[in-house]
Amino acid sequence: MTDENDKLIVRKIQEGTVIDRIPPGKALKVLEILGIDSNYPYTVALAMRVPSRKMSLKDVVKIKGKALTEQEIQKLSFIAPTATVNIIENFNVKEKVLLKIPDHVEEFIDCLNPNCVSNTHEPIVSSFDIVSKDPLILRCTYCDRIIEQQYLTRKL
Amino acid sequence: MRPKHLFSVREISKEYMEGIFSLASSIEHNPKDFANICEGKILATLFFEPSTRTKMSFESAMLRLGGQFLGFSSAKVSSAAKGESIADTFRMINSYAHIAVIRHFIEGIGEIAQKFASIPVLSGGTGTQEHPTQALLDMYTIHKEFRKFENLNIGVMGDLLYGRTIPSLLFSLAKYDNVNVHLISPPALKIRKNVELRLQESGFSYRMTENLIDVIDDLDVLYVTRIQKERFPDQTDYERLKGAYHIKPEDIQNAKDNLIILHPLPRVGEIDYKIDEHKSSRYFQQARNGVWVRMALILKFLDLD
Repeated sequence: MTDENDKLIVRKIQEGTVIDRIPPGKALKVLEILGIDSNYPYTVALAMRVPSRKMSLKDVVKIKGKALTEQEIQKLSFIAPTATVNIIENFNVKEKVLLKIPDHVEEFIDCLNPNCVSNTHEPIVSSFDIVSKDPLILRCTYCDRIIEQQYLTRKL
Repeated sequence: MRPKHLFSVREISKEYMEGIFSLASSIEHNPKDFANICEGKILATLFFEPSTRTKMSFESAMLRLGGQFLGFSSAKVSSAAKGESIADTFRMINSYAHIAVIRHFIEGIGEIAQKFASIPVLSGGTGTQEHPTQALLDMYTIHKEFRKFENLNIGVMGDLLYGRTIPSLLFSLAKYDNVNVHLISPPALKIRKNVELRLQESGFSYRMTENLIDVIDDLDVLYVTRIQKERFPDQTDYERLKGAYHIKPEDIQNAKDNLIILHPLPRVGEIDYKIDEHKSSRYFQQARNGVWVRMALILKFLDLD
């Protein structure tokens, strides 16, 4: 959203979400986990590897007409922990959400262990404790199996 | 304090574990004193996977305590074959028995027991996850021999990836300081990342090697496990690794005099039959100790100790 002279070249959006400070190169993954594809009916602007004062390079995504759910915000925190989510109303930032990796998540992703009870028809939902945030390590509450960043990025 | 159920040795403290050993020892030395304690009590044996020792030693344990048992030994003869959930199996067994032991190929069912079982449920092995009662009898056998765990050199050899007794044994040993553990396995059968992480969290360190010969002369205990055909997703990997660890008398000729060799059994070629007569072999005594330890567990979990 900046040109070589660092001037904004993408218009502000009236209603929607701006996700700023995404780690460089992750913007496409961000759109993927938000379910935004070529069928999305409103304006989507995406900038990759934009110079940034705080992170040297960053990605930015502007999505018109999109409000993020709690679960989408949770997923974002795993993929782009440095990002900020700006909720836009009437061209202004109504709320700024700082992403934070939670200590525990449920119904978030399937356990990678095919023999885990959470992958059967039992009356429970998948559940993970976050045992390390950097490097990212999730542990299944049921079978104890570990999920690491690489696998998580592929699965989300 | 005892947990409601037993699906992992991590759920019990060192002191509770030693209480089990102490009760098992009393039972072993005076079995008649315990002969009628469980009169009128029923143990349900829910075995969704094959078992010889675990099932029979639990049944023997209950009979020796004066109780009775009922159950099944294959998923095919239970309603699981019709698609019944484990949750419903637990709900049902609450009214049929006072205590249950379950073996299942599905991992993580302890949480289902926690939610749906009102009677105590003991794990008889869950998938590749854990086999806590086996570890308790393994630990009892080591304790009976050496009266301590500190400063022992313990080699754990074979299939450390798929063997469910391995995490339980290591988590039990991790309750003690200064236990020198050597993990002996081919790289493809190393312990799982989650087990590694749990051990790291409890500050437990160990060494890894591929060859028994590197450590055999230091060992007090050699714990051997079976390369488990049924756990390999790819059978060609099994064929490649199955003969990797086969112990013969010449392999232990430089061992310490007090070495003991343990195996959770069944063995499929890991220990040569010639070792059976060797002064170091303890695996059949170990299996026998399973009866005392499981009697102790039944009493503890029925609050009859």
